[in-house]
Amino acid sequence: MTAAQVTHPAQAHDDAVISVSHLVKQYRGRRVVDDVSFSIRRGEIFGVIGPNGAGKTTTVECISGLRVPDAGRVLVSGLSPQRERARVREFLGVQLQESALPPRLRVGEALELFASFYESPLDPRELLDSLAIGDLTRTPFKALSGGQKQRLSIALALVGNPRIAILDELTTGLDPEARRETWAVIESIKGQGVTVVLVTHYMDEAEVLCDRLALINQGRLVALDTPESIALAASVSRVTFAPTPTVSDATLLAVPGVETVSHKDRYVTVTGSGDLAGTLIATLSAAGVQLSELEARRGSLDDAFIKLTRTEPPPGIGRVPH
Amino acid sequence: MRRQATHSRGHRHRGAFATLLRVQARLTLREPYAVLLGLGLPLVLLWVFGFISGKVSGNVAHSGLSVIDLYIPTLMVIALIAISISLPNTLVRDREIGWLRRVSTTPVSPWRLLGVQMVIDLGLAVIAVVVLLVGGSTIFGAPLHLDVPIFVVSAALAVAEIFSLGLLLVALIPTQALASAVAGVVFFLLLFLSGLWVQPVQVVGPLREVMWYSPSGAAARALLYSVFNHVPPVTTLIALAGYTVVFAYASVRLFRWE
Repeated sequence: MTAAQVTHPAQAHDDAVISVSHLVKQYRGRRVVDDVSFSIRRGEIFGVIGPNGAGKTTTVECISGLRVPDAGRVLVSGLSPQRERARVREFLGVQLQESALPPRLRVGEALELFASFYESPLDPRELLDSLAIGDLTRTPFKALSGGQKQRLSIALALVGNPRIAILDELTTGLDPEARRETWAVIESIKGQGVTVVLVTHYMDEAEVLCDRLALINQGRLVALDTPESIALAASVSRVTFAPTPTVSDATLLAVPGVETVSHKDRYVTVTGSGDLAGTLIATLSAAGVQLSELEARRGSLDDAFIKLTRTEPPPGIGRVPH
Repeated sequence: MRRQATHSRGHRHRGAFATLLRVQARLTLREPYAVLLGLGLPLVLLWVFGFISGKVSGNVAHSGLSVIDLYIPTLMVIALIAISISLPNTLVRDREIGWLRRVSTTPVSPWRLLGVQMVIDLGLAVIAVVVLLVGGSTIFGAPLHLDVPIFVVSAALAVAEIFSLGLLLVALIPTQALASAVAGVVFFLLLFLSGLWVQPVQVVGPLREVMWYSPSGAAARALLYSVFNHVPPVTTLIALAGYTVVFAYASVRLFRWE
């Protein structure tokens, strides 16, 4: 084998370390991943988001080689994770959703074991110290807290000194403080030049951490962009105010751009698209309604997520079809 | 460059094997079903049957053998069963919690983890067999006369058969809760067939043949001939080899890492 063949073809051409094209995976005739394509750039934190059962985990498991696609192509640094399993595994660290360790296995032993599996591993001690679990090396897995287990799980994914780390539902079940700490860890992984693929169903997590997102719903790619652009493109705005006198829902829904109306005490919250606050003020003051304590918010990723993954219009409220 | 890379890979895999062996051995000792049952139970039973053997006449059912003579092979088989039956208890759990799948995401195959566990269990089996041989002949005076090659062949077949049965159980049983239940039933059935409660020479009719050609009874019978310098009946060896092939093939075919 010559040196030219050893270098990974994808590196030579562009910055994509992972490319997924027209990926299809089905279970018992049901397409859980349906024609999904995206590519992930070197050094970015790439989020895969979507509701439960959307096909996020199946998609990343095709990338890590745990599952074989039914159609389409997955390349990791130019290699097929299914056909060139051993080579890909050498530089791809994986953290699995809901994976535990034998209860009596100690933290230090687990790290030492995984380090021995790789060609040029990181020093387990330093890694544990950097994740602030360095003093737990003799603690058995079953005695760890939820946050500590997740840190250990990250450590196992990183000990092989990978170029790419796939982290699946890393912060599910953690308390807010542990989640923030885990975020800091992920930022620091990125700082070391590792490409991170992050599967999550927390929008705040995706918004804070990810450089780009793939939003998957019912097996299909719904959006692929930066968190800001996805939020903007879905363009959901939210305006809350106290009207005097009160106005009927029908009046509000008749205002151009308004999509939903909800009430809490004397406050009315309206969501919709376009310059919602401006249109509302203009329309309602013309009708003699005064708006006080008005608060307008640009669309968040959360709103965009709900809008993009909604399969049918919400019952009761909403624009009446003509 | 290439030589160096090859060297480093070989080195890594040797390192992985040693580390895996060390960590897995510690885990086995920390969850000591295999050790307690595989070594403890046969020793206690050796003591019991050695004691009985001293009290009763030396010729059980006109076989020309004393109680301790008959029971040494049975106790060896019981040790193997106890070691093997602990496999479902730990491996089914390790699969259920996702540990085997987790290992399968690394460059090292989980087959290696299984192989290391087999090496550890083989070590336990050798210790149990040697302790029974030495204890039985020196403390309780069983007139053993080993033909080493015959004994090694019989013992190897017995180990292979009973261990592959344990692996087959791992392959077939999906959950840890079910594993303890099924393993318990299989354990006592195999114990009975190996002659723990009644030896085949003491029963009449078809039950004797059932015991002789059962998975654990065939192993005990092959070992019985072998510790008294006889070649076991060919039918017994064929039964043992046949079980081994069937169990091993089925377990490899049905084995799942997740």
